Order: sequence, then C-alpha cells, then structure tokens
Amino acid sequence: MRIVIGKGSCGVAAGAGKIEGIFKAEGFETGITGCIGMCYLEPIVEVYDSDVSGNEAKKTYVNVNEKAAREIINSLLGKKNQAGKYGLPEEDAAILAGQKRIALRNCGIINPEKIEEYTARGGYAGLKRSLALAPEAVIEEVKTSGLAGRGGAGFPTWFKWNAAKNSSGEEKYTICNADEGDPGAFMDRAIIEGDPHSVIEGMLIGAYAMGSSHGVVYVRAEYPLAIVRLNIALEQARDAGYLGKNIAGSGFDFDIRVKAGAGAFVCGEETALIASLEGERGMPRLKPPFPAQKGFWQKPSNINNVETYASVPWIFSHSGREFADIAKNSGITGAQATGTKVFALTGKIRKGGLVEVPIGMTVRKVIFDIGGGIKNGKAFKAVQLGGPSGGCVPAELADTVIDYQSLAKTGAIMGSGGMVVMDEDTCMVDVARFFLDFTCKESCGKCTHCRIGTKRMLEILNRIVGGYGEEEDIEILEQLANQVKEGSLCGLGQTAPNPVLTTLRYFKHEYRDHIVNRKCTAKQCKNFICYEIDAKKCKGCGLCKKDCPTAAISGEMKEPHTIKTADCIACRRCKDSCKFNAVKVGDRKWIQ
Amino acid sequence: MDTITVNGKQIDFLSGETVLAAVQRAGVFIPTLCHDERVTPYASCGVCVVELEGSPRLVRACSTMVAAGQSILTDSPRALATRKAALALLLSDHRGDCRPPCVEACPGKTDCQGYVGLLANGEYMEALTLIKERLPLPASIGRVCPRPCETACRRKLVEEPISIAQLKYHIADHDLRSGAYLPEVATDSGKKVAIIGGGPGGLTAAFFLRKQGHQVDVLDMMPEMGGMLRYGIPEYRLPKKVLAEEIALIAKMGVHMRNNVRLGTDMTLDGLAQTYDAVVIAIGAWKSIGMRIPGENLQGVDGGIDFLRRVHFEKVDLTGKRVAIVGGGNTAMDACRTAVRLNAAHVYTVYRRTKAEMPADAIEIEEAEEEGVIFKYLANPLEILGENGIVKRISLQKMRLGEPDASGRRSPVPIEGDIEIMDVDLVIMAIGQQNDNTGLDGLSLTKRGTIAADETSFRTSIEKIFAIGDATNRGADIAITAIGEARMAAGVIGSFLEGEMLPYRAPVLVKREDLTESDFADREKAARVKMRHRSAKERRSGFSEVNLGYSAEEAKREASRCLECGCLDYFECKLLDYVNRYGVKPVYPGEARKYAVSDEHPYITRNMEKCVLCGLCVRICEEVVGVAALGLVNRGFSTVVAPEMRRPLKETSCISCGMCVSLCPTGALLEKTAQKPVPVREELTKTACNLCEARCGIIMATRGDLHLRNLPVEGGLLCEKGRFAFLNGETSDKQEAPPEWIVRASSGKGSSRT
Repeated sequence: MRIVIGKGSCGVAAGAGKIEGIFKAEGFETGITGCIGMCYLEPIVEVYDSDVSGNEAKKTYVNVNEKAAREIINSLLGKKNQAGKYGLPEEDAAILAGQKRIALRNCGIINPEKIEEYTARGGYAGLKRSLALAPEAVIEEVKTSGLAGRGGAGFPTWFKWNAAKNSSGEEKYTICNADEGDPGAFMDRAIIEGDPHSVIEGMLIGAYAMGSSHGVVYVRAEYPLAIVRLNIALEQARDAGYLGKNIAGSGFDFDIRVKAGAGAFVCGEETALIASLEGERGMPRLKPPFPAQKGFWQKPSNINNVETYASVPWIFSHSGREFADIAKNSGITGAQATGTKVFALTGKIRKGGLVEVPIGMTVRKVIFDIGGGIKNGKAFKAVQLGGPSGGCVPAELADTVIDYQSLAKTGAIMGSGGMVVMDEDTCMVDVARFFLDFTCKESCGKCTHCRIGTKRMLEILNRIVGGYGEEEDIEILEQLANQVKEGSLCGLGQTAPNPVLTTLRYFKHEYRDHIVNRKCTAKQCKNFICYEIDAKKCKGCGLCKKDCPTAAISGEMKEPHTIKTADCIACRRCKDSCKFNAVKVGDRKWIQ
Repeated sequence: MDTITVNGKQIDFLSGETVLAAVQRAGVFIPTLCHDERVTPYASCGVCVVELEGSPRLVRACSTMVAAGQSILTDSPRALATRKAALALLLSDHRGDCRPPCVEACPGKTDCQGYVGLLANGEYMEALTLIKERLPLPASIGRVCPRPCETACRRKLVEEPISIAQLKYHIADHDLRSGAYLPEVATDSGKKVAIIGGGPGGLTAAFFLRKQGHQVDVLDMMPEMGGMLRYGIPEYRLPKKVLAEEIALIAKMGVHMRNNVRLGTDMTLDGLAQTYDAVVIAIGAWKSIGMRIPGENLQGVDGGIDFLRRVHFEKVDLTGKRVAIVGGGNTAMDACRTAVRLNAAHVYTVYRRTKAEMPADAIEIEEAEEEGVIFKYLANPLEILGENGIVKRISLQKMRLGEPDASGRRSPVPIEGDIEIMDVDLVIMAIGQQNDNTGLDGLSLTKRGTIAADETSFRTSIEKIFAIGDATNRGADIAITAIGEARMAAGVIGSFLEGEMLPYRAPVLVKREDLTESDFADREKAARVKMRHRSAKERRSGFSEVNLGYSAEEAKREASRCLECGCLDYFECKLLDYVNRYGVKPVYPGEARKYAVSDEHPYITRNMEKCVLCGLCVRICEEVVGVAALGLVNRGFSTVVAPEMRRPLKETSCISCGMCVSLCPTGALLEKTAQKPVPVREELTKTACNLCEARCGIIMATRGDLHLRNLPVEGGLLCEKGRFAFLNGETSDKQEAPPEWIVRASSGKGSSRT
C-alpha cells in the first residue's frame, strides 16, 4: 500500500503539509507527487493498493481536510469510516479523461524527487534514442513533430534549434525560460514541481542537437519549491550519468545550472532574460542579432520555455509523426498546429486548474467540457487568453479553434496558455484596466511608447472606470493603443494593448456605458454602483452594520437596516456578510 | 556599388553601418534622441522609426543594419504617426518651462530672461542685440510698456517681480549713449514694401522687413514718425528725444520715411498695391470712443488721446481749471497727469469700479495720486451739463460692485438715486479708441469695424495687403502687441515675397503652472532695486521724465534677482526641436514624474523631470568612460536615472568628465557655469585643449565676453580638465599624460565592460 500526497505549490497552499503530518503521525509512510491539475480539489491524497495478483488499484481522495484524513486513516485501518465522502467525484475524474497529457504526462503521478519514478515511466528513453541519431536527424524529428514554442510566440522549435546549431562557435548555451510571469498561468511551475526530469531531458536533447554543452534554467525566485525540486533532479540526473561528461557513453557533455530571476515580467522576453542572466538590468534589446547568433555572453544561445522542453522527450520516446497527429487521432480536424497545449483555467470557471488538450480543440470545449463551465450558473461572457499580452475572446466566438492563427484572428493569442474565464458579472473595461495596470508596472521603462504609452492608457482607463471618462477618450485610447503596439521594442509593449484593443473590439458598448450613460453594466466599478438593503429581506441581524468600515449602515436590531449612500465606499462587505441576500447592488445616481 | 533607396532616391552605403548613419550621410534627416555614435545602439526613444519595404513592422533606423536593396521611407504617414506619438508621449512626461513666464507673457516674445541674465553678467552689447531680435524700440517701449512680463514674473512668489522693463531701457539707453547698434541688413532683395503708419507696429515691421533686404517705405499721416508713442504718450513718460533716436536708427538702416501722407487723400490702397510688392496696414486706432451720454458734444469735452495730441501741438494752459478725466486705463492716467502738469486747479479721475479693478499700471495710479489727482471711484458719468454750449458740470451716477463678470472683474451696478454733480471746465473721455477706416474701401472688416486680418498670416481680404496692430481684429491693445504682430508679419511677408507664404506658428512649449510661494520658500529675499525718480513736487511743475534711470551697479543688482525660470537648454534641446519640427501637439496629457533638482555636484546639475530616459548618460559613462556612476533604477513609468547606490553623484565613482552632460539631448543634465546662468544662443569656436598631451579637440561656447562652456567636438571625448578646468582659471600648458580612459576610448577599445 502506498499513500501519495499532492505536494505541488497548490497542494501545499491548500494544506497538504498538515495532512501529510497526520498520516505520518499515525505511522503511515507517505510519498509525494506534483500537481495533477485539479487545483480546486487540493489537498489530494491517493491510496494505491495491490491486490493478491499484484495489480495496483488507486483510490483518490479530494479536498482532504483534517477530518477527512482521519476518515481515510480509519478506512486504512479497517475501521468504520466515512472516507467515501471524500472520494474523487466521477464528474471530476472525467476531466482527466478528456485531456491528452504530454507535457503533464507525469505530473501528479510520479514523485518528482525520485528519478527512478521518472525512468520507470519511460523517462530518459527519448534522450537515449536521440543520442543514437545524428543532430540533424534530431532536428528533423522535431520538425516533423511541428512543435512550436509554448511560451507564447509559437515559433517553430526546430528552426531555432537549427539556427543555433548552424551558428559558429564552440560555446553554446541551452537556456530554459522558467520565468513564468503571466498572472493566471502556472503550468511551468507545475511541470518543474511535478516532473523536473522532463525539462532536463528536453534540454539535453536540444543541447545535443545544437552542439551545446552549457544549460541554464532561469526560474523566477517566487517559485522556491520548483527551484528545490529542480536542483534535486539535477543532482540525481548527474548521479545517473544523464548530465556531465560523456553522457550515456555518447561523448556528449552537458550540464545545467539554475539561475533564480528577481521576478520581472519582462525577463520572460528572451533578450531581457539574457541581460538578467548576465547580471545586467533586465531590459530587452533590439533583434537582430537573435540569441541564436549572439545570446548569453554573446554566444549562440537557444531559449525555449519549460513546456516546450517538457514535450520534447515524448516526441523521441514516441515519434514526431505521432505528436503531429495528436489532433487527428483525437478526432479534431482543421487545427493549424500540432501537439497539445497546457492551459491554466482560472477566473469564474467551476473547475480551475491545469489541463492539457490537443491543439485544435475549441474554446467552448475547454471551458465547458473540461473546465465544467461557469461558476454559480452564471452566463459565460468572455475568456482572456494569453494573459496580459493576450486578448479576450467573447462568448459568441467560443467555437474558435485553439491554434495560433485562429486565436490571432480574434485579437487574442495562445500565449503561455492562461485562460481567465469571465462571467456576466465581469466588467470588461475593468478587465482591460487590470491587465494594463500589470503591464504598465512591468514595463522595463526602456522605450517611450511602452513606458509612457501604457501609463497614459492606464490613466484613461482609470478615468473611465472612475466615472470621469470623456467621449473622446475611446478614440484616444484606441489610437494610443495602436501606437504602443507599433512603437514598442519588445513583445511586452507590442502586446500590452491587446486587452484594451480586444475589449474595445467586442465590448465597446461597455466603454460607452461608463462614459455616456454613467453605468457599469456588470455592476463592478465602485463609482457607478450603490448598495441598498432590501427591507423585505433584511432581518435586522446587524451583521452588515458591524462589518461596515465607514459606519454607513444604520438600523435597530430586528428592524430593516439602511445604507447611507453618501458614506458608503462600495467595499461590498455588507453584501458578503449578509446571510439573507438582502443587500442589492444598484446603479449610483449621478448629479447631472 | 550596392545602394539602398531612401524616399525614392538611391544612395550608397558603407557595409556594417546602420540605416541611420547611411541616411544621415546622404543628407536626409532622421531624428533620434537616444542614439550617439560613441555608444552602442539602444533603440529606446522610438523617434527614429522609418518604414522599411517588406518589413511588417516599422524599424528603428538607429539600430537596423543597412543591407543592399533596402527601400526606406523616412517620413511615411505610418512612420510619422509613430514618431509623433513618441514625441507627444515624451512631452507629456517632461516637467519644466521651456521658456520663462516673462517671455511667454510678452506679446512680442522679447527674451526677458536672456537680456536680464546677460545684463547681470555685464554683457550690455549682447543684451541689446538679443532685445533687438524682437524689438527695435527698447528705450521707448521699456518706458511705456504696461509690462505683462513683470505681472508674470515668478520672483513675485519670493517678494517682487524683476524690473524687467526698466532694465530693458537701461540697456537700450546705454546703447544709445555708446555707439547705437545697427543690425546687419541683408543684400537688396529687389522687393518693395509699403507700410502705412509709422507707429510702433509700422516701425517694427519696417525694421524687420528692411533687415531681410527689402526696400521699405513707411508712410505716415502725421508730421513726425512714432505714432501713439509720439502723440499719445506724454513727454514725462517717454522723452521724445529718446523716441527720435530710436526711429533715426531704423531710418539709418535704409528705411524710407514719409510724413504727412494720408490714406484716402494722398494715396489709395489700390495704388500702393500696384506700386509695391506688399503693403502693411499699421494705422492704429486714433479715434476716441465716446460715452454716448448727453452733453458729449459740448465745448470742453475731449477724447483722451485727442487731448494728449492737442498738448503735443498747442500750448495748453489749464491754470485754474477743473478737469475731469473719465476712464481707468493708462491713457486716463496720461491725461490726468498731463492736466496736473498744465497747472489745472483740480484734476479728477472718474472710474466706475474701484482702484483694485483699474486697468492702469499700479505705479501710474500711485504717481498720479502723489501728484494730486483726485480719484473718484465707483462713479459713472450720466450727463455733461453745459451753459451756452460750454461744459459747466458733470453728473455722476454712484455705483457699487456687483457680481464678477465673464472676465472675473466685479461689474459696477448703479446705486439708485445716488447722484453727484461736480463743477468742471474740461471733461476728458479716456475710455478707449477705435480705428478710422478712411481709405480702407474694399477691405473686409470685422463686426467691431476693425480690419479682418488672418491671425497667423496677417493677410487681409486683398492679395498682397497685410494688416497688424490696433486697427485689426480685436482692436486697440498695448504697443508691444502691435510690435509682436509686426515681427511675425514681417516673417510671413518675407516668405510671401520669396514666393511661398508660410504662416506663423506658435511653438509648442512645456510650461509649469503649479508653482506657489512655498516652492520658493528657501530663496533669500532681495527687494526690488527701485529706480530713482523725481519727487511729486518736481514732477507737477513740468514734463521732465519722471524716472532717472539705474546706475550700472543698480541694474546689475536688480538683474541678478532673476530666478532663471526658463530652461537653460532651450537653444539646444532636441526634444523641443523635434516636437516643433513635426508639429507635435500635447495630445496625451497625464501625470508627469516629479523629482527634486540635484545640484550637489561641483560641475553638474541633474533635473530628472526633464529626462527622456534615452540612457545616453548611463551608456557613455559605462561603455566609454568605463565608470558606470549612473544607472537606471525602478521600472516602468517610474524608471529613473540615478547615481550608483542612489548616493549624491559627487560621492560616487563619477570622475567629473561631464560626458553625460554632453550627450544629454534635453536639459536634464546641465553644466554649471561660472556666471549667472542664462539660456542664450552660444557662439561655438573649435580649438584644442592644452592641459595635457592628448590635445583633445574642444568647442568653446561663448557669448560676448562670457566663456560659457567647453564641449567635446562632435563625436569626441573630453575629460574633467578639458571640460571644466577653465572654470577655475586653469589654462597652463602642461605636459601631463592624458587620463587612462581617454587613451583607451580613443583607441577604440571601449570599456572593459563591453
């Protein structure tokens, strides 16, 4: 019998450490695994049991709190228990069935701190196969697979490898970009935490193809667990002879070191990442020269994202053709890219977490069939794809196929795979403002259009959501957005206006509502709403009055309360505290 | 040889150079703020964007390598839009005053800060030539101008404004006494311009058109030139000798002046238009406005300017007379103070509001009071009463102040039934002037009856005919307004005579409007140096000039009070140049970064509110000097250049070479000067530094006798000694070895870090 506890960051945050302690205190040995992707069900505990014939059966318990842990222990001890209450619901089990897990193939299954669990599932077989091939053949296989950069830009991986390979120079660098900065994207973290060897193996194969002997993983310092597990994995890989001199007797030398980044979003841009690696301020520079020609320390360098590298071993343990045919074999037609993509589902979605699906699936299928649809039965309004660099895809375009080109047509991007789902209660102007606030703060400050342009756009958006918008603001905003795209040096600035441009494209009426009608349709923007108490529903319990930070609520106990709008700061605490749903959100009356 | 195409023209290029270098070498202009050949391309400002055929994106010329067959459009609509957006964004985050408030307030845009600063440094001649770039009559205007410059002067936030106008005529008087400057006149253009009216506007137009080399004839109806300056301003404010001297200088430039010729009788517009290549109407407003009250036509009722003109021609004696002047402007003050000097028994000034609302200069009111004028505020004439057609009494409706009107002044409201009747012998109505339209047939007029002239080109409805000053558009204004229009019109007419008329465009400037007393709380108070003047008693008895002038020492002391509001980099600022070159408007208003000025360094002043974050200072210091005393800190909009470890610059590894200042495209980094700092156009002289063996090239920037700066030659380097040693008077010919970094950088090796 084995007990495995999900100890990715999501599990740890949900209390996995405490649960682990309970099992240990009761004398049980426990193992760990990474994130299976169902973050909303963490902590997850799995119990593997072998029957007489040696077949392993697995029982999965979810949302395991202290009480649940006791019940599970009771069941393990054969005592009367209610552990069944915490079993994985069928509906959620189906989520896994709908996926095609390649980059995430081992996440939530193996113990990331044990190389033997990785190799037991076919790990390092791809490396061995590729070492038997000529570097050109390795690149050819990647080309056949159609693998494209999963970090956002979707640039063909073989092309970059080939460019680095053909660059003259003895010293070349294979760099892994694990500076995952998009708010709402966490697949790279999950992969490193859950299956670090897949990244190491992918880098090894790439390095072999390019003739590189130095590897660097640039991880943001905010991922401490990932750094720990990566270092453990590197140590184990070295011990196993997968890193170091003459790897697997092939004569190929390669080793990897880890560099913790200080957490600037822009350092995900490859030239900024290189500057940061060199100890300089993380600022992008103009390309060309491309890193494949002049990269880290002016040497030819290749930079791929975590998910890209993690997909590579599968291509070699299976085949490039099989990777390219994933969509076809999943019954999907018309996809203009190959393989799978990991998406981080967040926002108003019922089953938030990480999912990996064949490229070519529609947005609707991912959100409804896999993500379980919208929380609380609300209506689906839009989904932000690609984080702050991406755009929103409105509900009416939900049948858009997820591939690089189809998404680009909507104004969104695949990006790193963040999917922030929004429902009817989301104010789209505020969404644009939120993302722009992020890019404005994360701009490196180098080029004019991005540094000042995003600031000015943010000021306009703040005006609009604050109730001070002017009709001409929409035009200025749109014009400025296009100039920021046009004039910025790197991807950050070139894509920063996307949330604004797409919300302007699909939800211009919401901008107009704010400016002309002084109304936030979604009833989110504080300056446009007021809270009122429904006298019929109010029981006079006084909870809201107690919670109100500005003493705007008055009323006798057991009598309906009232809110004085003038004193109300629209903090929503009354609405959240009311047990009788008596607090309503109305439109604020404006003095004309 | 391989070529590239730039704006449709083939040009050669050198392999390995950038698009910017190749295009600039071919003489085609591409602006850039962040590029300098001494450092590696950085591509931050976004101003050098051009369209490259086949490229989906605009490219940055500064960091795009040239390649055979490229086709480049430097000013395509797309490139221009992005370039202008960059400039407008930079402008929105640039705090300061390109020009000082005094200059901005002056309708003639005289460079007050410039000449006051030059005077403070003892540079009389330079100050005078600077004044004459805008104003040919400084001795006269300095005496009569109501001084909007001083109203705007920020020194008032410390204690009192600078006496700008008095300093101006101090400089001009000095010039008249010591040789009288004459500007250079361009060679004869063969074009002829007629100017109708020899007042301040007409004479100024004549001055500037003559400077351009045109034949200029000034035609005036009066016996002598000067217009209102001569016939409307009393002698005690402007001695006619001073005016005559200044007019004589204009005549000396070759301007023909004809008097006693009147439009409509002695000449016609049509006739002039046929004889001349251009005609400028500068006839002023010479008709007093009446009050439309009963009794206006009685004998003993006069208009303000009519009275002043009469005094000019006739011997008027008011002994024993009671005189009432109606009005609150400077003409009213001129009239009442003239009446005092003509020995009137009682002189009243009747004004319908209070002293606080009076448009006349405070000093005029004060001096009139001293001279015994009785001010009757809150009174408005109802009727002038006479006997046998001669004025005897005036009845005044007493007023009170009501609500503020559109102009913000509280408007007077009659107090029902409160009427005062005063015995008077003479009523002078000084409430305004209008123009006499005789001879203007065929010209379009405004609703007010003034000549309709385009406000940017000064064109009238008739080809070749231009009009300026009191006779146009909004009507009578102060002299310097007419002078300003005359100068602008001279520029427009110059372009018209050359074949393509270019209208005047006011430059886009950054201004600060948020300063208050507290911003100057640390300034040491220094009261205005008052000009000596005659006592009231002495003044009453004659028309001698009231003011007695400054001594050189007083003038210097007064001029030294200037706060130097206008940016010292005005004449070199690339941002300002580009903004105006491309007609960029401040279309993206928003928050601008705020920083305190750091001037702790012995040679360098840093003002990050003017920084465009081009990074040139950071890069030259690191890449070429090899020091890295400056770096970028913070991110996004808050990014700022700061000395290492955020310490004061002088406490860093800075070696005071000043290369950062040399490369700064704006006024963010400035050299300290040995003199009172003043923004002026510098004279640049190329020479060599003799403080060590390197003998680096130097550009000496001077103005007059002022040695302002030493700069490296274009693309060159200079160390602390070459740059700043002259400030301490170090000039000796030493045979020392040059600093290590100069040797290294000049050998092309760059710094160890690159």
